[in-house]
Amino acid sequence: MQMQFSYEVKDSYAEVKSVGRLNMVAAPKLREVVNEVVASGSSRVVVNLAETDFMDSSGLGALIGCLKAARQAGGDLRIAGVQPQVKMVLELTNMDRVLTAYPSAEEAFGDD
Amino acid sequence: MVSPTPVRHAVVVEDDADIRGLLVLVLEQLDFVVTEAPDGLSGVEAVRTTNAELVTLDVNLPDIDGMEVCRRLREFSDAYILMLTARADEIDRLNGLDTGADDYINKPFSPKELQARIRALFRRARTPAAPAEDPHQSDELERAAVVQHSLLPRETVRLEGYDVAGAFRPTRSVGGDFYDWYQTRDGMHLTFADAMGKGMGAALIAATVRAVMRSVADTPAIFDAFSSASTTIASDLDQSGSFATMFHARLDSASGKLSYIDAGHGLALHIPAEGAAQRLVSAGPPVGILDGQHWPASELDLEPGDSLVIVSDGVLDAHDSLEDFMVNVEKAARSGDTSEDVCAALLELAPAATAEDDVTAVVVRRKPDATH
Repeated sequence: MQMQFSYEVKDSYAEVKSVGRLNMVAAPKLREVVNEVVASGSSRVVVNLAETDFMDSSGLGALIGCLKAARQAGGDLRIAGVQPQVKMVLELTNMDRVLTAYPSAEEAFGDD
Repeated sequence: MVSPTPVRHAVVVEDDADIRGLLVLVLEQLDFVVTEAPDGLSGVEAVRTTNAELVTLDVNLPDIDGMEVCRRLREFSDAYILMLTARADEIDRLNGLDTGADDYINKPFSPKELQARIRALFRRARTPAAPAEDPHQSDELERAAVVQHSLLPRETVRLEGYDVAGAFRPTRSVGGDFYDWYQTRDGMHLTFADAMGKGMGAALIAATVRAVMRSVADTPAIFDAFSSASTTIASDLDQSGSFATMFHARLDSASGKLSYIDAGHGLALHIPAEGAAQRLVSAGPPVGILDGQHWPASELDLEPGDSLVIVSDGVLDAHDSLEDFMVNVEKAARSGDTSEDVCAALLELAPAATAEDDVTAVVVRRKPDATH
């Protein structure tokens, strides 16, 4: 049985895995999961998008909402495993400067 | 495309065990992880637990019928739904109903045809998930639609030597798209924005954006006008946890000089009379994301025969790549005699049957024979 979002708390960050289309239906669920993760004390969050090949503006909105939530809690939100369509949306909206993409979840907080 | 391939789940809702087995095989050949359901209620549950992307659904089931299953699925899922029916004449009837299904196929079916249909479904953009039929919510959606509609400019822009048109097609769920324009002493001002979200929240943010942008119309420099407006807008957006992509432009009609600021929109194109279309690159992220953000202004010369085309992301979402999008927008822009025709062609790029979002287009065309 596979859920759209699952998470795992690691040593220095929490990884949220997103599977499937990040759209109007999925966006609120992502917010819920990340809020839960942040509320439980992990404010350094990586959203792993390796299995998400489509994101629309609702999905982008959810990522930004999650980023704000993580920063408010003193942490940060980073993304990993970005697929071509998602990369395109991030570039078009200039959000690639705000949401830094890393090749993998392990590397996302590797520098600090 | 790119590896690793994500796991895709499918649910087969079918009471006949033999047909069910066949459907499972057909879907497994397409690399779906398949869950079987012998009746409607267990089918709905299976879609909920597996978050399936595809559902094959028999119309006649022992408990609730296929139409009812569809309706329940659409309350939470945007999976592709393929309905199977044993009666050829029923397809016509189903097609006439707003069942929420994406395609219909006749039993007995050929596995090859079924696979081809499924591939076709996944190639096309997602159909809109039907909004919940909660009467309170539909009532609010109706009011949101009224707000959204009221934001569009009532006056037409009549500028000598220019043809200006806009078109807007809302979704049932009401998004945050809008455009606004007005004539000035020197030409015109134009704002094109998309507030993130759906329903009344998005419509109200759009209304704020429009009002604030209008309030800075008399500020002489576009940079100052946008800086001041975006600060006000951002504080409102922050409270609602939202953001808006914006494109704002000022045209000096005599010279054709267009100054513009793109805040995370990225879907404005300059289509020159001759030569390739250019996308106007965004100067920064959308409004409402970072504090203290400023967006530099850029300039563009609109020569006789050139067009400025701006579309919303609903048009982009209907394309597989930015290249395809550019090719089709340019083709549409060069297809019509009037800006109104071009707007209609642009809306067609995101067909109403499959568009998930609002679709909006604005075209400012400088006529080829512009003389004074």
